[in-house]
Formats: sequence, C-alpha cells, structure tokens
Amino acid sequence: MTALTAATPPAVVRHISPSRGLVLAMLRLHRTALLFWVGLVVVAAGALLWAMGPGADAAWAEYTDMGCDLSRPNLGCDFPGPANSRYETAVAVASGLVRLLPLLTGAWAGGALIARELENGTAQLAWTQSAGPARWLAAKLAVPALLLVTGTLTLTLLHRMLWSSDQALISVGWRAWHDDGIFEINGTIAAAQALAALALGVLVGLLLRRSLSALGVAVLALVSLVYVVGELRPHLWPVKTVVTGLDDATAGSDGMIAETGALTASGARVPIPSCSGEPGCEARIGITHYYADYHPASHFWPLQLMETGLLLAVAALATATAFVLLRRRTGAAV
Amino acid sequence: MTALTATTTPAARPALHRGGLLRAVLRTHRTALALSLLALAAASAALVWLHSLENEARAGVSACATPPMDGLPSCAAVEAITVDQTYANGIAFLATALSWLMFAVAAWAGGALVGRELESGTAQLAWTQSVGPLRWLTAKLAAPAALLTAGTGALVLLNVWARGEADPDLVGDWYYPDAFVSTGPVAVAYALAGLALGALAGLVWRRALPATGVALAASLLLHSLLERHREDLWPTVGRTAPGSIELPRSAFQVTWDTPAPHGVHISHATFHPQSHFWPLQYVETGLLLAVAGTATAAAFLLLARRLP
Repeated sequence: MTALTAATPPAVVRHISPSRGLVLAMLRLHRTALLFWVGLVVVAAGALLWAMGPGADAAWAEYTDMGCDLSRPNLGCDFPGPANSRYETAVAVASGLVRLLPLLTGAWAGGALIARELENGTAQLAWTQSAGPARWLAAKLAVPALLLVTGTLTLTLLHRMLWSSDQALISVGWRAWHDDGIFEINGTIAAAQALAALALGVLVGLLLRRSLSALGVAVLALVSLVYVVGELRPHLWPVKTVVTGLDDATAGSDGMIAETGALTASGARVPIPSCSGEPGCEARIGITHYYADYHPASHFWPLQLMETGLLLAVAALATATAFVLLRRRTGAAV
Repeated sequence: MTALTATTTPAARPALHRGGLLRAVLRTHRTALALSLLALAAASAALVWLHSLENEARAGVSACATPPMDGLPSCAAVEAITVDQTYANGIAFLATALSWLMFAVAAWAGGALVGRELESGTAQLAWTQSVGPLRWLTAKLAAPAALLTAGTGALVLLNVWARGEADPDLVGDWYYPDAFVSTGPVAVAYALAGLALGALAGLVWRRALPATGVALAASLLLHSLLERHREDLWPTVGRTAPGSIELPRSAFQVTWDTPAPHGVHISHATFHPQSHFWPLQYVETGLLLAVAGTATAAAFLLLARRLP
C-alpha cells in the first residue's frame, strides 16, 4: 500500500508513517477488545460516580433514619436497608471489575493479541510489510499498555475520591484500607498489575504460538502471580510490632497484620496456644504477652510503591524475554 | 482411507466408520482428555485421602468441657487436633472445584471443540469426507457428554462418601451453594449444560476466542441465576410464632419477618428443611437439562440451516 502510493506523484501522497499505520492497524484489528475496555471503564467509572453522589446520599439518609448514626448500640444497624446495599453493590462492581482486570488482560494478550496472529500467519505476513518483527511487537505492547494505564488510573483516582469522601459509609460496610481489593485499586498497584498481565500474556503467546493454549496458560500464570504477590504484600516493608498483655489482644487490629503470636518471659516468639478461655492457662505454659507485627495506615504508600516496583520488574523481565525470543526466532530480520 | 476399504470389503464399513469418527474426536482433543483424566485421578485420590481423615476430623470439632466432665473431653485436647482444619479445607476446595467445572467445560467446548475447527476450516474439510456435518456434531457432543457424565457422576459419589456423616460444622450445611451443587445430580447437569452452551456459542461465532468468551459469560450468568433463585425452586415451609422462633439446625432460611403491629412481637419464617434437598436437586437438574437440550437442538438447527 505505502509502496504503491509512493510510486504515484509524490505531491499528492498523504504520508502515513509506518508506526502510525501500525497503530491504526492494531486499533482496527482489536476494535472489539477496545470497545470492551472502553465499556468496562465506563461501567466502573459510572458505578463509582453514582456511588459518590446519589448513592451515598440515599444510603446515608437511610442510615440516619434508622437512628444508626447515634452512638448507642443497635443490632439492626449491622444489616442496613436497600439503599445501603445498592451503594455497596455499586462499589463492589467497580472494584470487582478492576480485580478481574489482570486475568482478562492476560487472557486477551496471550490469546488474541499475539498467539492468534502467529497461529494464523498474519504476524509473519505483517513482518514482510514495512513493519519488522521488533516494531510489530513494540506496537503490540505500547498501545494496549497506554490504554490500560490510562483507564486503570482513571478508576483509581475515582475510587480514591470515593474513599476520602465517604468515610462514614465505609465503616458501615466494614471495609478497611488494607483489604485486598481496596488496597489495589486505591494506589498504583492496579495499573501495575495490568501491565504485568499484558507483558506476561504477550510472552506466553510468543512461547506457545497457539491461541487457546496460550489463553489457558496465561490465565494460570496470572492467577499464580496475583496469589504470590498477595502473599508477599505484608513483607515488602519493615513492620511495626505492638506487644499487649494477656487480657487485651486487640492492638494493631486496624492495620495490615503480617504476623501474630505469643511471647514467653525470655522474649521468645511462640505460636498462640489453644487455651479456649481456660483461666491461667497462658501463664501455666509460660506465656507473658501477645504480639502483632502490623502495618499502620501510614505505611500505605511505601507498601504500594514496593509492590508496584515488583510488578513492574516482572513486566520488564517478561517484555525483555519476549523481545529476545522474537529476535532469536526471526534471526537477522529484526 | 475409509473409501479404500469400502471398495474392497463393503461389509466392514459401518463399524470402522463410526469408530473412526470417535477416534478422530479423541485424538484431536487428546490434551484435554489427558488433562481431565489427570484432574479426575487427582480429585479421586484426594477424596479417598479425605475420607480416611473424617473420623479424626470429627473428633476435632466435638463437644468439650473445661475442665473435662460428664464424659466430654477437655477443650484444650479437642483444640489440639488440627486435622479438622485440613479436612474442612480439602472438602471445601473440592466442592468449589466440582461446582465450577461447568466454566472450564463451556470455555473448552466453545473454543477448542467447535469454534477452532470452524475457524481453521478443519470442520468443513471433515464434512467433505465420509462424515456429514450432523454426524460430526453428534460425535463432538456425545463423546464428551458420556465422559463428563461418567467422570462427574463418579466424583459426586466419591464426594458424598468422603463427607461421611456430613457434619455441618466441618463440611458446611447442605444448602451452601458449593456443597449443594457438588453432592447431587445437578453437578452432572451443570457440566452437560456447559458443554451444550459452549457448542452452541462455537457454532454461532465460528471463531475460537470470541466463542470461548461468550460461552464463559453465558455459563457464569446461568450459574449465578440458579444460585440466586435456588430457594424458589420448591415451595417453602412456613412457621409463625409469638416472640422468636428457633429454626432447626440445617434449615435453609428464606425469609424472616418480625412485624410488631400492636407492640406484640410475632416472628414469621419460611425455610427449606433438609428433606427438601432431593426435590430441589431434581427441579434444578431438570431445568439445567432443559437448557442443555434446548442449546443442543438450537445447535443442530443452526448447523442444518447453514448447510446448502
């Protein structure tokens, strides 16, 4: 196409640079995925905006009508009415969609973005055109990465606004800053997870070169990655330790708990004994205190940045491996 | 190959023919077959192992007293038993895996079984050979359906056996979504509905990846709809009493109402007693088989209409 137009009088040529053509071709090829992504962001953002405005007002009005904002105990307030559950549902839809994002991204990147093209041979055809394999892969990574980061960060900003505006309703819903879903969407982790999913999916697609196997393996790889990083989360920053007496074991409970246990008189850390309320049982086996290693809310950003760095390192490693693999496979053509 | 043998010995043709189609289906999907047999073996081994833990696990949640009296063991001794946690986690994991089987089946059926063959044109090639399209689809559906019915049925029976006396403190009450699905015929019906929905999605979309996505979305929708409306599938039992009602343990509570019109508290509750397990299972199985049948019929109609 470009070669043909170049042969006609050059004055009327509307020059399309190869990279621009590559980007346009990609957006056209994956228009369904693009529409799906735009739809997902619109639905999640709409749910968050609704929850922040009319949703929160209605839920709060219902809560005060029940007399629950007063500080006297009322068991009915543990089960608020329909307006509160609508509010909870809207917030859960938004954060649930963002939590699904790594899996969806990985499945799409492994299956549709890379492996299907290698399986059909359209990738090999594309490499004989103006775009070489390396440029092709760069476009495949850069365009989705840009769109994913933009969309995810928009949702993160909206959720942070919701989080800071509706503190009272948050405590009604028993949500805490360190809950997995909330921790991820309130900072840079959600976007970093999406990038790691994209890079891993692309790598799996290049390795397997068959769309359905790549889809399956990419999903498995991402489930494992999300699980492992979630397990590592409390250990990515030095913890604070709080020591309590035998009667009061609630300190640190509003933080992210890394480890709890019991202390003996010599200061040794032992597992919490199973005493089931037997009086004097702890003292008899030499327990003097309980301890908890935890992160206070002030550790939010250090923890976020460490985990984001870890995920971005995974993404970078996968991307580098993908480029090396492609260069090996296509030889000097790169 | 078949044509050659047909010219030499026509009498041997039909038997060889049918076997050939079945063998081709099994050979094309040998990875899926090997993986599912592996999963079946692992799940069976796990269930046999869990069954061997059951007695000790029940001792770990038995009644206790501090200090020990009336023949009850001391609570510290009961709490020291950790097998109950292992057993409960294992049973819960297998129950979840069994009730989510439908999603894997639907994704595979939509993508690998039907969508991929139509996309790459191997199905169209097969139809020009001795196998017609309708026979092709029959083999594609019948072989996995038979294997799924046998495998899932066996796992459900093993699961019921491993749950032993089904102590609700260990394995959850009968009406918990995962426990309900994994202990009766609905488990098989879910797998079959996933197969039929996947095949239909594959035939409608004729492309592997979109068919995978659509089949998965359709089964998620069906699964969550039935989970949400399970309580409405059989008439409930109602009970009204002044003050508060004590429902029997293991009652599946549907509504709970305490109106106080004239300052007198009256409780009204509707629930499913445990004896509703089988009626609920039968109705849900029937619904799922109807969905599977409709999807299969639609798939055959669609294929027949598309042919010249």
